[in-house]
Amino acid sequence: MTRINRDIIAYLVIIGFCILMLTWGIPTYTPAYPGYGASPALVPIVSISVMLFMACLSMFRCCVAVFMNRPLPIEESKFPEELNEEGGFTQVGRVKLYHLVSIMIPCVLLVVAIEYIAYIFVSFVFLMIFQYVIGSRKWGQSIVVSVSLTAVLYIVMRYGFGVPVPGPQIF
Amino acid sequence: MEMIVAGLLDALSPISLLFVFVGVAIGVLIGAIPGINGPMAIALFIPVTYYMSPLTAIGFLVGLNKGAFFGGAVSAVLLRTPGTPEAAATSWDGYPLTQQGKGEKALRMALYSSVAGDFISTIVLIAIAAPLAAVALFMGPAEIFALISLALTVIAGIGTNSIGRGLMAAGLGIFVGLIGTEPVTALPRLTFDIYQLGSGLSLIPVAIGLLAFSEILLQLEKFTVKGGGEHIVHKFSSKLQDRMVSLKEFFANTKTLLRGSLIGIGVGAMPGLGAPVASFMSYDQAMKRSKKKEEFGKGTLEGIGASESANSAVVAASMIPLFVLGIPGNLAVAMLMGAFMIHGMQPGPLMFQENAQLMYGIYGSLVIASVFLLVIGRFGLRFFCKAVNIPAMILYPIVVFTCIMGSYLGKSDMFDVAVMLIFGFIGYFMRKFDYSYVAFLIGFILAPEWERALQQVVIISEHETFMFFQRPVAMGLMALALFVVVRTFWKSFKDGRQKQMEAATQE
Repeated sequence: MTRINRDIIAYLVIIGFCILMLTWGIPTYTPAYPGYGASPALVPIVSISVMLFMACLSMFRCCVAVFMNRPLPIEESKFPEELNEEGGFTQVGRVKLYHLVSIMIPCVLLVVAIEYIAYIFVSFVFLMIFQYVIGSRKWGQSIVVSVSLTAVLYIVMRYGFGVPVPGPQIF
Repeated sequence: MEMIVAGLLDALSPISLLFVFVGVAIGVLIGAIPGINGPMAIALFIPVTYYMSPLTAIGFLVGLNKGAFFGGAVSAVLLRTPGTPEAAATSWDGYPLTQQGKGEKALRMALYSSVAGDFISTIVLIAIAAPLAAVALFMGPAEIFALISLALTVIAGIGTNSIGRGLMAAGLGIFVGLIGTEPVTALPRLTFDIYQLGSGLSLIPVAIGLLAFSEILLQLEKFTVKGGGEHIVHKFSSKLQDRMVSLKEFFANTKTLLRGSLIGIGVGAMPGLGAPVASFMSYDQAMKRSKKKEEFGKGTLEGIGASESANSAVVAASMIPLFVLGIPGNLAVAMLMGAFMIHGMQPGPLMFQENAQLMYGIYGSLVIASVFLLVIGRFGLRFFCKAVNIPAMILYPIVVFTCIMGSYLGKSDMFDVAVMLIFGFIGYFMRKFDYSYVAFLIGFILAPEWERALQQVVIISEHETFMFFQRPVAMGLMALALFVVVRTFWKSFKDGRQKQMEAATQE
């Protein structure tokens, strides 16, 4: 997928979100006007309208580039990796979905599992899986990192800040 | 006068001194690790400050920020991989010196320049913030509303190549910042029937997600997809002249350091510009005015001094708009603003009246942090150099788990961890698609204050219809905001057309 096509899809998503908020989200979840001051819906509507306007304008620009053959500046139409400009401070680039999902899944599972299983077990397992996902194959090092990190944060939270660790308490 | 003495004595209390010291040390250590910067460190450590007194907390975070700014120079000089954009100019002369075995000398020059820039900037902050705040006290809701509008338009251009995407990000930040209790009716708004949203989204999980977690997602992508490796650091020479910066060498660069500091102060005091602009501008000026222009880029102490004095001067100077107007000029200060709010204070001119003792305590902590930076940098330099080689396999799990537990710590609620993950996910896409997460965060932080000012303007206008139009400062600021938007669009349109023509010619 080219960068322009990807940007058009992003603008469409933003436009869809803005329309959803303007037609459903803001009217449904905003208190009624109390009769004085500005309406509680005013600032949300203004902020979403700015987004909608800018997204429409930007999409129009991309569409003109695609359909009327008016090329956009090269840094807006190509990915940095296509221009061999990697290594700078820009983080623009193609989304690595597999990588993203493989990192996010253990994190989401941790949030869900910690409600039911004690912190110490879940954290240890999470850290082991996480290290495996990012490529660590040194099991000894992984175990040491997982155990020490779980223990240090447990001690800091429980005895340093006096905050109970998440999930069922076993100690 | 009593307040000043009491504030300074508070800053000199053992617990305050200890946490400023720890803050600076952690800041330098974290800044030295490639990929971790000041704002990210502040976001990660704000939850820890819940359990501190306001002065200790702010002193700790200010120390952290100052330390991280210098720490960024360590990886820039040793590896030529600056962890932050502002350290890039330092690497241009720092790394060639490292290749010559003079890495320690380059780092010492970076340290002394950092401390000099930071110290001068802190003195300027102390000298001008309170008098300016006294003037700012005459500002009413109309001026505050206009000022925040101006700040939002200026800030929309940060961190993205497109003002359009910047405005979209700022708009989304404002929208998300409005979730919670509506100020006039005191009823829930935009909560989507999720009861945890009744009190709004906390800054901590949002900031940790956008700043730290999304950054780690991107770094892991580079690491796992392209493969990471150990950094190779050139060995330091053992000759004394290759390790130390003599007084003669340091004072030969006095003009450069002063110029760099002044540039840093000017840039830092203006919302939206930030340390990289100061650093590059100072380096450029130093090169143009130097008698030894040809040595720039090959390893000259003057280049390091220019860059480091300017970027460190930004740290204290960027607090001027925060203390005077209650507006964060950059991301690190936005995080500090969040910390102030968490500790029950609203940054702005009223702070000098309502929390005078605390403000002078913070001033004291700022000066003490500069001294600690010199001491810690001077004696711990070799230790901090080792930080650049912390294995990624150990570093990333620590950072990710700290993100998770840091988000939980604020309210002891896993809902905040879920919020952090969601904003980490959103932040990843914002970075990939070039939407400014900086504009988002600043919009998020300023939204409630902006709306409050607007409500006050509207309520007053119900009795005094043309109130807004009778306030010349407010009108001037609104006109300036409009000018900024129109000018930025016009410039972007002109540049875009020129580049389009170039692209068409190339095709």
